[in-house]
Amino acid sequence: MSTIQKVAVIGSGVMGSGIAAQAANAGMSVVLLDIIDSNNPDRSSVARGAIARMLKTVPAPLMQPRNAKQITPGNIEDDLALVSDCDLIIEVVLESLEIKQSLYQSLLRHRKPGSIVTSNTSTIPLHNLVDKMPEDFRQHFAITHFFNPPRYMRLLEIVAGPDTQPEVIETLRNFGDRQLGKSVVNCKDTPGFIANRIGILWMGVAVRFAFEHEMAVEEVDAIIGKPMGIPKTGVFGLLDLVGIDLQPHVERSMLSMLPQSDMYRDIHRPSAFIEKMINDGYTGRKGKSGFYRLNRSGGAKVKEAIDLKTAEYHPAIKVDLESIEAGRAGLRQLVEHPDRGGQYAWRVLSHTLSYSASLIPEIADDVQAIDEAMRSGYGWKWGPFELIDKLGPRWFAEKLKADGMAVPALLEQVGDGSFYRTHNGALQYFDTNDGYRNVCRPTGVLLLSDLKRATEKIAGNRSASIWDIGDQVMCLEFHSKMNAIDEGIMQMAVEATKLAATKGYKALVIHNEGANFSVGANVGLGLFAANIAAWPNITESVKQGQEVYKKLKFAPFPVVGAPSGMALGGGCEVLLHCDAIEAHAETYMGLVEVGVGLVPAWGGCKEMLLRWSNNPKHAKGPMPAVTKVFETVATATVAKSADESRALMFLRPSDGIVMNRDRLLIAAKTRALALAEDYAPPEPQELRLPGPSGETAMNMVLDDFHKAGKATQHDVTVGKKLAYVLAGGKTDPTDPITEDKLLNLERSAIVSLLRTPQTLDRIEHMLETGKPLRN
Amino acid sequence: MPSYSVPLRDMKFVYNELFDPTDISALPGFEDATEDLINPILEEAARLAENELFPLNTTGDLEGCQFDNGHVTTPQGFIDAYKQYAEGGWVGLPCDPKYGGQGIPAAVNVLMEEMACSANVSFATYVGLTRGAYRAVNTFANDDLKNQFLPKMVSGEWSGTMCLTEPQCGTDLGLIKTKAALQSDGTYTLSGTKIFITAGEHDLTQNIIHLVLGRLPDAPKGIKGISLFLVPKFLPDTEGNPSTRNPIFCARIENKMGIKASATCEMNLDGATGWLVGEPHKGMRAMFTMMNDARLGVGIQGLGIGESAYQAAATYARDRQQGRALTGAKTPDAPADSLLVHPDIRRTLLTMRAFTEGARALAVWIGRNIDIRDHSNDAEAKKQADDIVQLLTPIVKSYLSEAGHDNAQMAIQIYGGHGYIRENGVEQYARDARIAMIYEGANGIQALDLVGRKMPAHMGRYLRRFFHPIQDWIGAHTADPDLQPFVLPLAKAFGRLQMATGQIAKAGLKDPNEAAAASSEYLKLFALVALAFLWARMAQTAMRQKDSSEPEFYEAKIKTAQFFMERVLPQTGALFSSIMAGGSTLMNFSDDAF
Repeated sequence: MSTIQKVAVIGSGVMGSGIAAQAANAGMSVVLLDIIDSNNPDRSSVARGAIARMLKTVPAPLMQPRNAKQITPGNIEDDLALVSDCDLIIEVVLESLEIKQSLYQSLLRHRKPGSIVTSNTSTIPLHNLVDKMPEDFRQHFAITHFFNPPRYMRLLEIVAGPDTQPEVIETLRNFGDRQLGKSVVNCKDTPGFIANRIGILWMGVAVRFAFEHEMAVEEVDAIIGKPMGIPKTGVFGLLDLVGIDLQPHVERSMLSMLPQSDMYRDIHRPSAFIEKMINDGYTGRKGKSGFYRLNRSGGAKVKEAIDLKTAEYHPAIKVDLESIEAGRAGLRQLVEHPDRGGQYAWRVLSHTLSYSASLIPEIADDVQAIDEAMRSGYGWKWGPFELIDKLGPRWFAEKLKADGMAVPALLEQVGDGSFYRTHNGALQYFDTNDGYRNVCRPTGVLLLSDLKRATEKIAGNRSASIWDIGDQVMCLEFHSKMNAIDEGIMQMAVEATKLAATKGYKALVIHNEGANFSVGANVGLGLFAANIAAWPNITESVKQGQEVYKKLKFAPFPVVGAPSGMALGGGCEVLLHCDAIEAHAETYMGLVEVGVGLVPAWGGCKEMLLRWSNNPKHAKGPMPAVTKVFETVATATVAKSADESRALMFLRPSDGIVMNRDRLLIAAKTRALALAEDYAPPEPQELRLPGPSGETAMNMVLDDFHKAGKATQHDVTVGKKLAYVLAGGKTDPTDPITEDKLLNLERSAIVSLLRTPQTLDRIEHMLETGKPLRN
Repeated sequence: MPSYSVPLRDMKFVYNELFDPTDISALPGFEDATEDLINPILEEAARLAENELFPLNTTGDLEGCQFDNGHVTTPQGFIDAYKQYAEGGWVGLPCDPKYGGQGIPAAVNVLMEEMACSANVSFATYVGLTRGAYRAVNTFANDDLKNQFLPKMVSGEWSGTMCLTEPQCGTDLGLIKTKAALQSDGTYTLSGTKIFITAGEHDLTQNIIHLVLGRLPDAPKGIKGISLFLVPKFLPDTEGNPSTRNPIFCARIENKMGIKASATCEMNLDGATGWLVGEPHKGMRAMFTMMNDARLGVGIQGLGIGESAYQAAATYARDRQQGRALTGAKTPDAPADSLLVHPDIRRTLLTMRAFTEGARALAVWIGRNIDIRDHSNDAEAKKQADDIVQLLTPIVKSYLSEAGHDNAQMAIQIYGGHGYIRENGVEQYARDARIAMIYEGANGIQALDLVGRKMPAHMGRYLRRFFHPIQDWIGAHTADPDLQPFVLPLAKAFGRLQMATGQIAKAGLKDPNEAAAASSEYLKLFALVALAFLWARMAQTAMRQKDSSEPEFYEAKIKTAQFFMERVLPQTGALFSSIMAGGSTLMNFSDDAF
């Protein structure tokens, strides 16, 4: 196995440029080639344009704009020689066999010996691609099938041909897993591989039965979404997103390749309704509108949905189906409910799940490959076999029979068992041949969920738990609602410091496997306390939070934060107090308190001032650090990647970034153990801050913003409180100010803001709508 | 027989002095609601209550309503009194002038309602139900229904009812069975049985407009499948006059403990024709509108009876000579001293008075907020007013009904054995007051509404409308030496309320039983703090009037305020202790041991 250092991507469409961007994000040098636009004097304008476009794309393919500089654009006529020092060449050109084959021919002249060539094809079988190629090429060839957008979709399907060398696959797996952070699934050379094979049937079933069961678009997505653990776009929202016009092409292509007996052939019905939508330009978000649209005509934005009978738009209804209510108790309760919703859910699930079960071993050797593909490729919370387990495999089989549907052999084999089970602390899956087998993680992967199966927690409450992750290292896991920081988490943080002393733990890692590390403090409790004017209690609880975070910072053992997803407000502040952070590349840190009319007050202002002041590359003097922190915090800036967190100093140069989130915990644990050697806690620091003169400068900025209409009156009020804290209050630049003094300033600022009705309105609005209120 | 005179002086004090009446007259639509208009209305209403309604109270109780073959006869004199009431425009007093109402502020209307309830609570129920029905139709029905029915309801020619309860469901309206089916002409046909229908059948009006909760064939189960229908006793003809008798018949009336002159009917709907009010399956929303109004009305019943009970007891205690003062005879020439020489009699009377005067201020406070909610052009002001009405509704319903009943019991105690004798009249107050603690949501339900809905709503935003003004007022007056006797006890009780609120919110998040277990005591604690706030402000207002021409009035006000602070408010200490003790002793008790 070798490591990929330089990559060529040929084809700079959305997928090609996205793959190039992710390779650049991973620190690789990338060559991006495309055809020549004869109308443009710049012969590489196509690839160059693709890179420029990516800088404006939302969500951003690049983790930092400067990563674009790692991508060298070129064209395939002049610049094919650029691939000659690339370890990997990824072909992402049009889905045309001739074009691909001729490209491969020209690559023969340029690729270096031992380099790997892959195709991102989703419709052309591997054997057709390479049957005319020499053996060495075939040995170094595979399909690497990415999902759109490549930065954010975790799935990478890899298909080996009969001649592909095992080392090549190992190198590609390593490249996908460790370097790009993907979840790699080995697939067979079958139509649509795994995820799209099942996904296309699922969408076909969901759309067709929506019409047959006279379901509303909103109802379909409400049933498909949360109850089945599928992203809330459901199926119609998803079609709007990917483009409704794309679907007929995908369907036709699938039909041309699928086996004659495939279930999809029975399911597929061209829909006149959808055909008309496409012909009239209603192709989804990129077109006039799709199954949904945002109607802005009345001034306000109103989400509307199309009526599947009349094709008229109406304001989206609030779905009120008893089956959804019943489904809260379980998936079986949903599909057993007699209303339309329940019947529809059963039609969708019975087809999708039995189809999935019938495809082993045709498309995959085991159930975990299929489940992983649907989870990371389509964002499903549970894969098809996990869904069958929820229904109960025996019950599911009986109900299929009762409906006159075929029962797949695999389902008969599992009988009264389930597809997954925990055995002696290990997660096992049902294997067709050998009964149950342990689910194997790639080498070096350490998952908290696996550890939790195998061990008992050391301590815990409703909001947080502490686990022993081996080698005398503890892990503090948040599991409150949205991992919001509350009293329970604070208690467990204190408990961890005690355990280190009493049980001899050497280090603490703060990590969880939630979608977001933490969305911030549970401001609901603070709002309630403010509503009943319990000011002394509020002051006290702010102080307690400060004390707990201080305890973590000055503990006699190292604390390492290992975040993924959002780490906002109080969730960001806890990380700022860690000795080191190992962040997943997709970590979004920010001190967003001003959005709810507050200032960071659990040491966030203080720690950011320390980070900037201690930065050796930074300009000296009290004001520059203050200005930087003010810019970041007053605008509630959230870093859009771990990389960007570094630029904003949420991460220090010494903190690590991990591409694959499955490898986050092990990285943090390794880091913690390294720090534990000869560990000495940090000493409290003193800072020199500008005082009133600096405050005045920041206040002027705020007043200008207000005059320009960019800040509301309350933005100014909040901003000025922040300015007062960051300037060090009434301090003088010649007088050093202690950390505790800064904490006092943070505390009085937040308490006084909680007394303003505008702040209370902002908090309430955020809690009830999830969106900030600009009042 | 007891006597009753409307406490006009105190009503005017609350309306014009404690609160700023120009807050109300500044609202759109209330420009005319100045003292010149309000005072004569109050005086005329007082005359009507004292001279027409009050004399029928005892006779109505003795005679009760009579049932004969589907017809209900109200006691003698009720028809005439009702006629006067309706012709004087009193039924539609707070209603929209568009439908012939007088458009009088709710803050004034609560005072009228108090008078009517003091004078004759049975009589007041007929008018009260019409108003609730009016509000539901006015808020939710389409214009056709409104134009067809509201003018005659507002004029009092037709009356209204609320048909919710069925034999199998009272509090739990999700169990409603009454069936409704759409007919080809767009009307609905309804069948089912309703019980405990106040004013369901009577001889006061030519037609009765029933608002009926029922279930459509495709209705979801439970509370989400209830729709509201308007079902008239007589279907109007094309001219709008009562014509065909609709098959909604009274099967019997209940033989009750009190409010005997108010007809409590069992109604059978046998394919009766009705119209949908509002949207299908959204009947509960409309019902809550009606019910919220009704809940305030029920609280005011407690206040009204509490006031007449106080007046009866005070008069009796002054006149009745029995025993001697402990410190020596007060009237040595008489065979005995007046009851007023006895400290415990005085304690009892002051307790009653401190309640009614405080409760009156609370009723007007909520009335003012209803006016702001319904009439202000300022969205923020409307929202704040609605918040406080939402918050205070269960408190007014529950506390005023309970304390009003307590007043009636205390009046009996002051009367001694004579209080237990029917013809002396005060035992009727106790019987009449008892129902207020039960109907329109039993007081236990009100307490649950407070801790389960109102407290957590918008993470405590409703509470803010109450806690912040009190906190600010305490802050602003802590240093005022004259107000010390009021501010300090208020601050202490307020602190208890804050702590209890925090405790219940926190415990309730983990275990809803904990919040429910503390709810009744919490509601009472809340009510006492609300009254304490109003008493402190009443004392402050009275102190500013020291040099007025009515020194006795203001002095009594200040002293009652002091009594409340020193002898009533300390109950908050006991309530606080009970709340903080938690609910484990309730929930750990074995079911089998009950």
